[in-house]
Amino acid sequence: MVSPLFILAIGLGAAFGVGLLDARSRGLAFAITLAGLAAMSAIGAEWLWAFVVDGVQPIMVMTAGAPPPFAINLRMGPAEAALVAIICLTGLLSAIQMREALLRLGRRAMAVLSIAVMALSGIVLTRDVFNLFVFFELVVIATGGLVLLSDDPRATAAGFKYLVVSQVASMLMLIGIVFVYHAGGSLNVDDLIGSPAVAAGGAAGLAFLLLMIALVLETKPFPANGWALDVYEAAHPGFGAIFSAASASAALYAVDKVVGVGGAAFLPMLTAIGLVTFVGANLLALSQTVDRRLLGYSSVAQVGLVLAVIGLRDLLGERYLMVAGGLLVAHAVAKAGLFWLSELVAGRDFAAWAALRRRPILIFAFATFVAMLAGLPPFPGFYAKWELTHALMAQGRPELVAAILVGALFEAGYLFRWFGRALKATPPEGVSDLPVSKVGVVVLTALGGWVLGEVWGAASPYGDVLGATPLLVALAFLALEPLSARIKNTLAIVVLVAAFASGWPHFDPLQLIFAAIVLLGGAVIFVASYAFADGRRTGFYPSAMLMYAGLAMLIVAKDTFGFFAAWEVLTIGSYFLILRGKQSEPHALSYVVFSLGGAFAILAGFALAAETTALFPIAGLKQVAAPFAPWVFVLLAVGFMTKTASIGLHIWLPGAHAEAETDVSPMVSGILLKAGLFGLFMLLMQMGRQSLYGVDLTLVLLWIGAASALLGNLMAVFQEDAKRLLAYSSIGQMGYAVFGLALMNHLGWLMALMFVINHYIYKSSLFLSVGGVYKRTGTREMYRMGGLITLMPLTFFAVLVGIVAMSGVPPLSGFGGRWIFYNAILDTPARLPMVVIFLSGPIAFLYLFRLIHTIFLGQLKDEHRRIREAPIWLIAPQMLYVAFLIGFALFPGLALRKVDAFISRFIPEHALNWDGLTITSAYGYWNPVSIMIVIVVIFVTLLAWLVFLNRRAQMVKQFNIVFAAERPYRPETTHFAWNFFAPYRRALGPLTEPYFERFWQAQTDALHGWAGFARRFYTGDGQVYAFQVVGFVVIVCWAAMGMTP
Amino acid sequence: MTFEWIKIPQSLLTLFIVLNYGLLLTALVQKIAARAGRRHGIPIWQNYVDLLKNYGLRTNITHGVMYYLGPVFRLSGGVGLLLFVPTIYGSEMFSNLSFAGDLILALYFIFFGTLGMALGAGESGHPHAAIGVSRGLSQVTAAELPLALAVFSVALQYHTLSVTDIVAAQQGGVAHWTLVTNPLAVVAGMFSFLGSMMRSPFDVVLAPQEIPIGPPTEYHSSYLALMQTNRAIFPVAKMVIYMNLFFGGASSWAEFCLKIFLIYMVSALVGVVFPRFRVEQSIRWFLTWAVPVGVAAILLV
Repeated sequence: MVSPLFILAIGLGAAFGVGLLDARSRGLAFAITLAGLAAMSAIGAEWLWAFVVDGVQPIMVMTAGAPPPFAINLRMGPAEAALVAIICLTGLLSAIQMREALLRLGRRAMAVLSIAVMALSGIVLTRDVFNLFVFFELVVIATGGLVLLSDDPRATAAGFKYLVVSQVASMLMLIGIVFVYHAGGSLNVDDLIGSPAVAAGGAAGLAFLLLMIALVLETKPFPANGWALDVYEAAHPGFGAIFSAASASAALYAVDKVVGVGGAAFLPMLTAIGLVTFVGANLLALSQTVDRRLLGYSSVAQVGLVLAVIGLRDLLGERYLMVAGGLLVAHAVAKAGLFWLSELVAGRDFAAWAALRRRPILIFAFATFVAMLAGLPPFPGFYAKWELTHALMAQGRPELVAAILVGALFEAGYLFRWFGRALKATPPEGVSDLPVSKVGVVVLTALGGWVLGEVWGAASPYGDVLGATPLLVALAFLALEPLSARIKNTLAIVVLVAAFASGWPHFDPLQLIFAAIVLLGGAVIFVASYAFADGRRTGFYPSAMLMYAGLAMLIVAKDTFGFFAAWEVLTIGSYFLILRGKQSEPHALSYVVFSLGGAFAILAGFALAAETTALFPIAGLKQVAAPFAPWVFVLLAVGFMTKTASIGLHIWLPGAHAEAETDVSPMVSGILLKAGLFGLFMLLMQMGRQSLYGVDLTLVLLWIGAASALLGNLMAVFQEDAKRLLAYSSIGQMGYAVFGLALMNHLGWLMALMFVINHYIYKSSLFLSVGGVYKRTGTREMYRMGGLITLMPLTFFAVLVGIVAMSGVPPLSGFGGRWIFYNAILDTPARLPMVVIFLSGPIAFLYLFRLIHTIFLGQLKDEHRRIREAPIWLIAPQMLYVAFLIGFALFPGLALRKVDAFISRFIPEHALNWDGLTITSAYGYWNPVSIMIVIVVIFVTLLAWLVFLNRRAQMVKQFNIVFAAERPYRPETTHFAWNFFAPYRRALGPLTEPYFERFWQAQTDALHGWAGFARRFYTGDGQVYAFQVVGFVVIVCWAAMGMTP
Repeated sequence: MTFEWIKIPQSLLTLFIVLNYGLLLTALVQKIAARAGRRHGIPIWQNYVDLLKNYGLRTNITHGVMYYLGPVFRLSGGVGLLLFVPTIYGSEMFSNLSFAGDLILALYFIFFGTLGMALGAGESGHPHAAIGVSRGLSQVTAAELPLALAVFSVALQYHTLSVTDIVAAQQGGVAHWTLVTNPLAVVAGMFSFLGSMMRSPFDVVLAPQEIPIGPPTEYHSSYLALMQTNRAIFPVAKMVIYMNLFFGGASSWAEFCLKIFLIYMVSALVGVVFPRFRVEQSIRWFLTWAVPVGVAAILLV
């Protein structure tokens, strides 16, 4: 093994070495610098390998031939090795990214870079506080120099401000060290840790406090960090990466190393500062529009989170390293990657990032980094987030969980806003070549992120997300991207069907129904995708398969970790899918923010339920006892209802479903929404009724379901956009299903399942129909259409069957749902919510009629006279759905009988009686086949009679109508379509106002308003920054006096 | 399950009786209403004349498939509704095809004809038809609500959704009728009834003066004849449900005729007294007056 001393020696050697060279041999100097950084990285990596794989024990390296405290010693352990590797690798890769700047500025700049990396490594390695101070000073000087590398004229000012503030911190540190040495009699950290004098408080305690504050200042805590933000914004992005990934890691490790001296009393201070920083910086970041400054805020926030975790290290116990390490590694890799990416982008606003779209692999890298920062699976931050919330909940610290999750949600908000902008904005004009080496560094970093995800997964006691077959299959589609879309589409269908076939024997009836909808149903929708399979359709298949992978994992999840990981996976996949729509940028953002908010609620719920158990089976939810049980219920229910778009949490849905691509709308409507229902099913099956403060929570769910049904249906009535109409209708339909579940009786659950099946079929079918019409007419505004029945007869037929089924009119399958519904509600004592649900039923007729009438009936428009039937690939699945709707109407028992029996395991009372073809309940009976036969016989007889009477009827021309003996002027003025239900709106008035949209808009505005207001404190003035730092020190001292002995 | 083929002629007999009774009854009520307005009114056989005339007329015109099917949907809805409900209590002969489903089937089947008719009218391309449908659907959503509440209340009261069982529970004199045992439900149901009979004040759907006859504007000859046939059957079929739910059902055709006539007279009486509501007015009326009664009915049952 190479001694860690060589890391420092090589750094110094390289710096002096290039200094000896001729000023003109810049190429050689650059090569030496790279070689030095590579060697340092290699030593760090070698040690890391030795610790992790070979199980080597940590070592102490003595210098000057004497043990401490007579000489400085260095420690090399797993944490040190990992950090040194990160720091040196960041330095190496940044050097490659900064090649032009370094070559321009010459050997001095290269020497300073080597010194900076060496000093950062020194901070990590040294065990001597004064030596720590020396390394910090070196970092400060080097940083001041490196900031100047940038072409940005503001860099000079930023560097100067940085120096001013750093000197304040250095003074504090030095004073602290002097007095700590005075009290403890040693400069060695390990000696001081055992020293009673420092831990005893008093003057020594104050001295230590100053030292700590100085170290904390190096982590750029909020709000004393304006100088750092200016550096991030103005510095060369290559240096930004070092400043964010390497400097922060070193500073954090210094805090971690030294805090032990002061004892546990100082830990709450770190947690408090860290959390304030995390939440505050993320909040302020919301209003940022400059990419690098945003990265600065995000860096500050992430480092704050790690600082908070350092404060919680006693509480986390042995999981501390995984948590802090996971967060730090995710931050370092992602932030360095993003800074390097930003160099490939010319402009500084988010829209400029659209340039990355020229290289899809860079979008992949971008997505990887964003997911890492947002703590999504399968990256280390995900495992860390999981462990952290569980540990905090187990220790009874829900307020900390809340703060962390709120901050994380802010962070996800701006990250995904940025990502969405990059994907949807128009790419800037003028194509410039992206250098291979720079692209290579970014891609390598992204791949490193995946490797780290696997490392954390393998080490996680909960399970390895990356090891899950469905996810691997979905990721394999990334590798298939170069293939043509037709091949990928066929593969996707085969994969889904095969997945269903292989899982079939292991599913219970409930899983079987959901799996059939997700996998087989997904395959049917993919048939429609052939209509869009020209070219490669880059990005579509990995996203879709990611969503299906998440759904498949969700259905078979056995423990809460697997469930949550699946939930996050399906959320990301569906986000990418939704984002593909032309106008879907704001809606996709709204979707992902609501979904992640919901996911965080689920995470908190699971953590609360798990208490101290590491791996918590879903079946264990049964055993959760009061007082936690109702809170678990609330958190999980809220999380699931963000997916079912229950009222209040629904505002993301209409835009997301309406603006999605034609074949994506059925996926996210027909299939994705069912994930929420599956969750609610799981929740109610395991936890049953819960009450909070005497309120029965299932009753609350009942009301929410009823209100969703009513308001979803009502809003659908007033839409002019066909897809929005269907989207609002989904809110209503999901409301029915939630209502059915919340009835907590046998038939209620059966009805919910019936809705799961029916809604998938008719909503998928209708979305495809409307999509086909959109493809042909180029509009979704219904009043612009009309009279398409003769031109698109098959589409019309599919819509007709779809709306008859959906409205519940016999003889199609919707009626079965209504029949079960009526029987179900007779069993429940809660009667008032029924009133609401009764009101919403007939309203469905209004929008369904409007849908079919306005598009297909009435007056054909001139510009549509030549359009053709929708493409065969869109029609084929619709016909399949029609056949299924009729089949399911005749023989509902095929799907429901087993489920009926399955539900009996949980609620045996009032099961249905399947007596031949007649289905009886405790109250009534229903014979689907008889109904169908009677209706068909009557209908056919009457039709035959009419044909006999009226056999010579011929189609007359469009305007041949009774119109006061005149000819109507134009189809536009004759087609009664726009604002079709105006009287209804007048009658219901206030019920149709968008209160929830306004509520959420007000929340968003308030947050942005705060962020916009608060960031004015960062005036850009060096004196102000110095003053803020001093103020921060005073406040922390003042607060700490109360906390420490 | 074995099907008894004798059910078919028996059902046709029910249909025949109800059709004739419906033709006479609607004419009679129209005449009574005319007399209330100091007019002479139509002859009692006028509906037969109209029907025969329209069936006799020949036409070469259609506006398309849905237009053609509209009247078929409409009449199928009326006939089906009639046959899915037992007409005469205690009579196997006139239990019709009620083995296929219970009350819920009947309630949802009401929409079958409405929807088909609306689609047919829509394809005619006439704006008045579309306006009529818009008004009709808007109004029916509010008018249906008190009925749904009343039905729910009655089903809770008798613990069944089977029409036969509900009638059975009301046997043994007027005191056992739902009218007496659950008056709130009956009031709510009858409010809803007013809204569904296309008589004033809830007849803006057809609104003769504003949108000449509304949805059926483009229909004529045999199309119209089919719809006129339905106009005789459908109200009676609907009233059979009301009779069975609220007024003890009927154990003979005489009792049937009397009760149906009296139920019809409720809407006729209200119709001659009150002027027409606009759609939003009638929606508000149902929500303000009828729904609270229905809510009380389900809470107090």
